[in-house]
Amino acid sequence: MVRAVPFSAIPMISYEISDRFIDAGDASALLYAPLEFDLTFRKTRRYLFELEDIGGDSTAALARFVKRTLLDEASQELFIDQNACDDWLFMIEYGMKPGGLDLEKEAIRARFQGRSQELGFHPNRFDLHQRVYVFGDLAEDVSVEEVAKTFVKDVCNPAIHKSTIHYPSSQALTGNALMDRITTHPTDFYRRFKISDLNEDELFEISQFLKLSLSKVDMLAVQKIYADWNREPTDVELEVIAQTWSEHCKHRIFGATIAHDGPDGAEAINSLFKTYIYDVTNRIMERKPGFVLSCFHDNAGFIKLDDKQAVCLKAETHNHPSALEPYAGANTGLGGVIRDILGAGKGAKPIASLDVFCFGPPDTPAEKIGAEDVIHPLGVMRGVVRGVRDYGNRMGIPTVSGAIQFDDAYIYNPLVYCGTAGVIPNGDIDKEMSAGLKIVAVGGKTGRDGIKGATFSSAALDTDSHEEDQTAVQIGNPIEEKKAADFVLAARDAGLIEFVTDCGAGGFSSACGEMLEDVGGEINLDTMPLKEQGMVSWELFISESQERMVLAVKEESLPQLQEIADRCETEMAVLGDSDGSGILKVKHHGETVCELDCSALHDAPIRQMKSKWTSKPDAAAAPTISNLGEALRDVLSDFAVVSREPIIREYDHEVQGNTVQKPLAGASGDAPQDAAVMRIDGSDKLMAMGLSVLPEWGKTDPYAMGTACVDECYRQLVGAGSNPERIAILDNFCGGNPDNHEELGALVETVKGIAVAADAYSAPFVSGKDSFYNYFETKDGPVSIPVTILISGMGIVEDKSHVVGASLRRSNSVVAVLGTTGNELGGSVLARQLEHIDAVPQTDLETNLALYNAYYEALKNGWILSAHDVSEGGLAGALAEFAFSGKGGLELNLDQLPTDGDVSKVALLFAETPGRFVIEIAPENREAVAAHFADHAYGEIGTATDSHTNLNIEWGKETLINEPLSELKSLWKNGLAPYY
Amino acid sequence: MEKRPRALLLKFPGTNCDAETARALTSVGFEAEIAPSSTLTREMLDGVSLVVLVGGFSYGDYVMSGRIAKLVTENKIGDALKGFRDGGGYLLGICNGFQILTQLGLLPDCSLVHNTSGRYQCKWSMLKNHAPNSPYLSKLPEEFEFPYAHAEGRLVTADPADAKKLVADGFAALTYSTDENGSFEQIAGLQDETGRVLGLMPHPERFMEREDHYDPDWDKQERGNGHYLFASLFEAVSK
Repeated sequence: MVRAVPFSAIPMISYEISDRFIDAGDASALLYAPLEFDLTFRKTRRYLFELEDIGGDSTAALARFVKRTLLDEASQELFIDQNACDDWLFMIEYGMKPGGLDLEKEAIRARFQGRSQELGFHPNRFDLHQRVYVFGDLAEDVSVEEVAKTFVKDVCNPAIHKSTIHYPSSQALTGNALMDRITTHPTDFYRRFKISDLNEDELFEISQFLKLSLSKVDMLAVQKIYADWNREPTDVELEVIAQTWSEHCKHRIFGATIAHDGPDGAEAINSLFKTYIYDVTNRIMERKPGFVLSCFHDNAGFIKLDDKQAVCLKAETHNHPSALEPYAGANTGLGGVIRDILGAGKGAKPIASLDVFCFGPPDTPAEKIGAEDVIHPLGVMRGVVRGVRDYGNRMGIPTVSGAIQFDDAYIYNPLVYCGTAGVIPNGDIDKEMSAGLKIVAVGGKTGRDGIKGATFSSAALDTDSHEEDQTAVQIGNPIEEKKAADFVLAARDAGLIEFVTDCGAGGFSSACGEMLEDVGGEINLDTMPLKEQGMVSWELFISESQERMVLAVKEESLPQLQEIADRCETEMAVLGDSDGSGILKVKHHGETVCELDCSALHDAPIRQMKSKWTSKPDAAAAPTISNLGEALRDVLSDFAVVSREPIIREYDHEVQGNTVQKPLAGASGDAPQDAAVMRIDGSDKLMAMGLSVLPEWGKTDPYAMGTACVDECYRQLVGAGSNPERIAILDNFCGGNPDNHEELGALVETVKGIAVAADAYSAPFVSGKDSFYNYFETKDGPVSIPVTILISGMGIVEDKSHVVGASLRRSNSVVAVLGTTGNELGGSVLARQLEHIDAVPQTDLETNLALYNAYYEALKNGWILSAHDVSEGGLAGALAEFAFSGKGGLELNLDQLPTDGDVSKVALLFAETPGRFVIEIAPENREAVAAHFADHAYGEIGTATDSHTNLNIEWGKETLINEPLSELKSLWKNGLAPYY
Repeated sequence: MEKRPRALLLKFPGTNCDAETARALTSVGFEAEIAPSSTLTREMLDGVSLVVLVGGFSYGDYVMSGRIAKLVTENKIGDALKGFRDGGGYLLGICNGFQILTQLGLLPDCSLVHNTSGRYQCKWSMLKNHAPNSPYLSKLPEEFEFPYAHAEGRLVTADPADAKKLVADGFAALTYSTDENGSFEQIAGLQDETGRVLGLMPHPERFMEREDHYDPDWDKQERGNGHYLFASLFEAVSK
């Protein structure tokens, strides 16, 4: 007789696995703030199975499966229904919350699902937990519970994990506390709202209730549209409109009309985007026909590489998700921008990535953080870096370039920029929708993860966000995306793609919306592959589940596409058709849940905004510094300058085998470089990638920040060997509260700065993005980030012999400086350390451009052995970094250094004036190079030497700095190591 | 026209070094074909001289590196790779491919586990060549440099004495010149008793050209060291 067994009484069989050859580690390594007592830890994994039949055969069969699939007998030990460790102080057990994607769990499930017959057991339930055992003794007055809670806080993230703390006295082994399920099964799949007779307050209430992030003005516009159509909206339609008009998708601040009160007086700006980005780029494109092959209308802009191929670059931010769950946020941030590349043209191949982060300082004291549940900057940094690592490495895309800024202003709102470059055959750049095509989804299934991401990024964070907005956190699966990427590229090469785009913010609603906005068509939600059941129509249509691409293909191509999908082991589903009606129709369970004429949605109400910017510090006298060598040590060990090596080594920067100029190089293999350079398969041309981000400058002079960022990025690209004529850049903005006039004013000034510089250098903006509402309500009031612009760029390197590194190569060469050094110390690392207020340097664009062109001619003549851009840390910092290759000492005198009038010795060494390079020249070319640069700011400052290994800098008869390079390098190289 | 020796590269979901490895093989004279695991059959090994298990993260390396790839391979083609080796075939495993080869039991017993640092590490290292007669290493000097990039490259044996024996018996074809990841005896690559099976953690396919080295002045050699590994192999296979 079969006896009914209550669910909770069914025992789960526990298989716990520990590593034999890994010693217990220092437990402080798990925490953001080190402990005062010596505790150690070990990690184990625990697999829990509940069998339908716990008879002898079945349990034995399960044990065989576990040993064969989950255990490595040489290096691991298995504990069945017992703890792997003894004598512990406490133990933390955690697993993914129900509904959260656990990649390992899915991989294992795939090994037993549907194979009960063959394997001899049938699990009803399967779960995977991580355990952290902590060992050691505490002082008597220390509460073990408090210590354990600290560990839980830093090891687990409540946004995705369920955790339990075990103490030796408790016999808790069942882990039932982890098993709660989130079950929300609405009974109806769509609703319709009667909005025609609501007033503006009621309309706004609807917007808030549905979390649409639409303003009163927007909701009134929606009401008007439906009045014109003489009907009422469905929830699906409202969600589609909210996604379409969201800041993330429509960039309404960049399109706003702004009354700006700036240094040049009052003016009205009719769209920052049109005035300073679009028009500037169009003017450059007219001057350089045939260089930009596509921009503004696709997922990424393309520039010409050669007659056969083009390259593209795209960068995005993923700030809010990374603040809540750094690992998953950064992971999906990179995953998303990679899909942008796969969805650019008819599918570009991703070839390299860059990442730029802005964090609070890793040594921020915990008590300085003025809000509950804010993740410590160190936790954010570790999580973000690992997120980028695990996505990029698994996708097999080298992460070759990056930057990190540390500033208190980013404690509550860290910034995470991810960028990816791609390459495409020229013939596959243009794509066009037409009627009669099949709309096909490829890749991951659709679930509730990431619902409301697009509108979420249009709202500020507060403490509640960390609890409430869990569904906004998506979890990435790079292997799923790798399979989808292989599919897209194979389908493209087979000529089967008419149109492709990625599922990013807004999910299918924006991907299908983008494809069908002109041509129209019908999408059927019933054919969508699902992760979970019971999702309502709007959830299905706007879910931001990761790893999905949408294609438009000819019907006759479907069988061949299915073959490719099978080969790549990815899933493909036909969602609908394009039909030429101009109407976006969505069906679910046989009913029409959405029917929108997209042309009515093109024009979101234009926002009317106000901004002002006035303050700008005056030039100040340089501070007096008695020991300049000590000052250099301080600068080189500043978080702004120290080596990023611990992070760079965690990224596979060489997969694909094309990274010619690596992020760390020089004779010692660990010296800092400027732009990265990638070889491109099938071409003898190469692509350089550079970037600049200088938020400190923008705090007092956002215009100067804008020009300097464009200059630095452009200079890096030229320095590494790019043709100055063939450089394109990207603008990625992050701002705080745009309704604050000063903050918006800083943004306006920044935009003007980048526009002027891009125009001067004829470097078009081929892609860009913006992210606002990066402010946080702390208990002491709102904290905003400073306006932060990332300028990244790509340059074409015409020949591999043009590639130039940033490290000293010989011990007998001549060292010279190109570019003029000014007196302003504002924005510099030194000024920040000394809290010295000074004007920020301005960028002399015309002079610099002439100099860069002359540099390129010298480079083509083979005269430049190496070149390093002068940036954070000033000339002294650049010279030290230059010599970190260990090739020799430097014997220098600054008498011949080109300066802007009388410059203080502090500014000579530490000012961060743009437009400068340190270059290395072979002695035999010395005169030719001096003659070549006769009309430019050029000064020989000395030579490399093998007679000592110091950095010796003199000025007249005065020795400014004479420091052993080995000591300087050690400070620089180990600065971040204790934190990462 | 002379027929070129055929190399078959196995590609699992998550494998990501297939393109550059195929490029490297082609550059020294092989005809290289990439075989997705979904299409794998025993018959595909017919007429093939070399099977390469390339780098990446097969099935995400969830559970442990190479484990699921081994299970899938066995499901698809049983012990065909052993038969292929016994029939005179060559088998090369690079990085994740080395991990899969050890899982498949095609190399002496060992496991590749997490680096002692607990971190992924992308770096270059000097290697010692202990098998100058290996078909893979004959054109390489006693000591040479390769890049590596892995989180699970620490070679351990059930008994540390077994690792010493691997060195003494000549199975440890390559060792790191410095301790890179905690490998017992600093082992970086293993060969089997036939010498035709080689597994190594470093990536020869990433160092085919002079300019692939991080230091532009690294050596006067005409090509990168990886070129000489594949060229050695081509010569051996073509005999």
